[in-house]
Amino acid sequence: MFEAGVKAYRETYFEPGYEPASTDVLAAFRITPQPDVPIEEAAAAVAAESSTGTWTSVWTDHLTTLERYKARVYALEDVPGDPEQAIAYVAYPLDLFEEGSVVSMMASITGNVFGFKALRALRLEDLRIPVAYVKTFPGPPSGIQVERDKLGKYGRPLLGATLKPKLGLSAKNYGRACFELLRGGLDFTKDDENITSQPFMRWRDRYLFVMEAVRKAEEETGERKGHYLNVTAADCEQMLERAEYAKELGSPIVMHDFLVGGLAAHTTLANWCRRNGMLLHVHRALHAVIDRQKNHGIHYRVLAKWLRLAGGDHLHSGTVVGKLEGDRESTIAVVDLMRERHVPADKRRGLYFEQDWAGLPGVFPAASGGIHVWHMPALVEIFGDDAVLQFGGGSAGHPWGSRAGAHANRVALEACVQARNEGRDLAAEGADILRRAAQAAPELAAALDTWREITFDFPTVDTLDPAAA
Amino acid sequence: MMRLETFSYLPELSEQEVAAQVRSILERGLVVGIEHTEQPDPYDHYWTLWKLPLFGVRDPEIVLDALEACRAANPNAYVRVNGYDSLRQGQVVAFVAARPERDA
Repeated sequence: MFEAGVKAYRETYFEPGYEPASTDVLAAFRITPQPDVPIEEAAAAVAAESSTGTWTSVWTDHLTTLERYKARVYALEDVPGDPEQAIAYVAYPLDLFEEGSVVSMMASITGNVFGFKALRALRLEDLRIPVAYVKTFPGPPSGIQVERDKLGKYGRPLLGATLKPKLGLSAKNYGRACFELLRGGLDFTKDDENITSQPFMRWRDRYLFVMEAVRKAEEETGERKGHYLNVTAADCEQMLERAEYAKELGSPIVMHDFLVGGLAAHTTLANWCRRNGMLLHVHRALHAVIDRQKNHGIHYRVLAKWLRLAGGDHLHSGTVVGKLEGDRESTIAVVDLMRERHVPADKRRGLYFEQDWAGLPGVFPAASGGIHVWHMPALVEIFGDDAVLQFGGGSAGHPWGSRAGAHANRVALEACVQARNEGRDLAAEGADILRRAAQAAPELAAALDTWREITFDFPTVDTLDPAAA
Repeated sequence: MMRLETFSYLPELSEQEVAAQVRSILERGLVVGIEHTEQPDPYDHYWTLWKLPLFGVRDPEIVLDALEACRAANPNAYVRVNGYDSLRQGQVVAFVAARPERDA
């Protein structure tokens, strides 16, 4: 007999002690219920509304087996120092999701529940994607190792710069800015995310001049160069048209803004890059709208995991040393999620779950924003070799211009890598290493004088979120 | 000025500096390989192998002797040292240890 009416969510969706299957997708939610809603009920509501449940019993529930399809809250954890919040662990059966579809995961897990009235706020802290699901995604078009092999760049971080001013240059002048940076010693230059195809510089004109700059810099230096040509466009047809033209001109790489463009468009482009042997640099405009608030939204570690599944060869990660200092451990953990084959759970770093990537290629973290030559020792120490360090203002802001600025950064980078390999301590001796390298490179000496010396005694662990302690 | 591989923006490495980098490669458990070419090109991935990579070699002196032999046999060539990571199944290090005399 069908019994109509409203049942408490926890009767069906709260199963403490449920042992998650190795194929379940696991989610950790930070839940802030309304004052009069018990935490078990709030957590069960999240599991219900993000899987099979709705607010009332419906007769069609009895045409299926909820046991097979429903999500379950299998654990609840207090948040130290905040009695209003709790961490709820939810297990989703794998059949709830479409193969190879990040969009499917987003629609289910980060759908309706985020606007649920019984909750004041909700944050998806982490997601364990089971190996069985990972294997349905092709991942990065090339990945870290193949990119290194294609470009012949080994044993050091790669260097890039975003061209400035980000808006308003003509295509020819933009190409000049690009050439100076590449000629000076950078590996890549980059379109800023808001450069698409404005009246002052149409994409086709930009691509032509920039690729002339790339080719000429390659001829004059003897090393491979590239410019992240932004193909983010109003629709997928134009996105692909731009990508095709970039390939036709011989560009090794294109760029896309994965959140602004959307995960479906992004996945289409990643598939195109994989088919066409093109590298894909991924920008993350919009991310702070989604990931910045501690009690609501989606943590960046989840967005980064989704991107690695959908495909990208570089992804912005934050710099650690810049304004993200407070987030040091958390940011480094995200970098691990981009690059490593296997990442163990470690709540001190905000990693609620172990993540096994099952051989999916790694993504280069791109560290960008407010960094200059004095940061180089810390960046090399923190990121190791597999990163793209982006010095925009830190190159073009050099008193002698972009070429000298780029040269200064490359010398500083290579001096730090050399010293590290010799066993020297970059944290303790960074300033000395840079000054010594500057003796043979006046460009570096001028850069060191231009920007303020910073301390290299970076602290070991900053306090992360107490909930993760 | 051709910029070939890592450290090409630094002054040419001294013998001691080359030796230090070789030690670092071996300490990381990587396999050293030596290649040479007289005509480097950014689109040419395959320089000429100097014998096979030095599998199992842990003594930097053996690597330095091989480098010297390669240089002596190819005085007009660029000679580069590669480091291979068998776990990662790829190359992870490259630097030029010798340049042709005309380039000095």
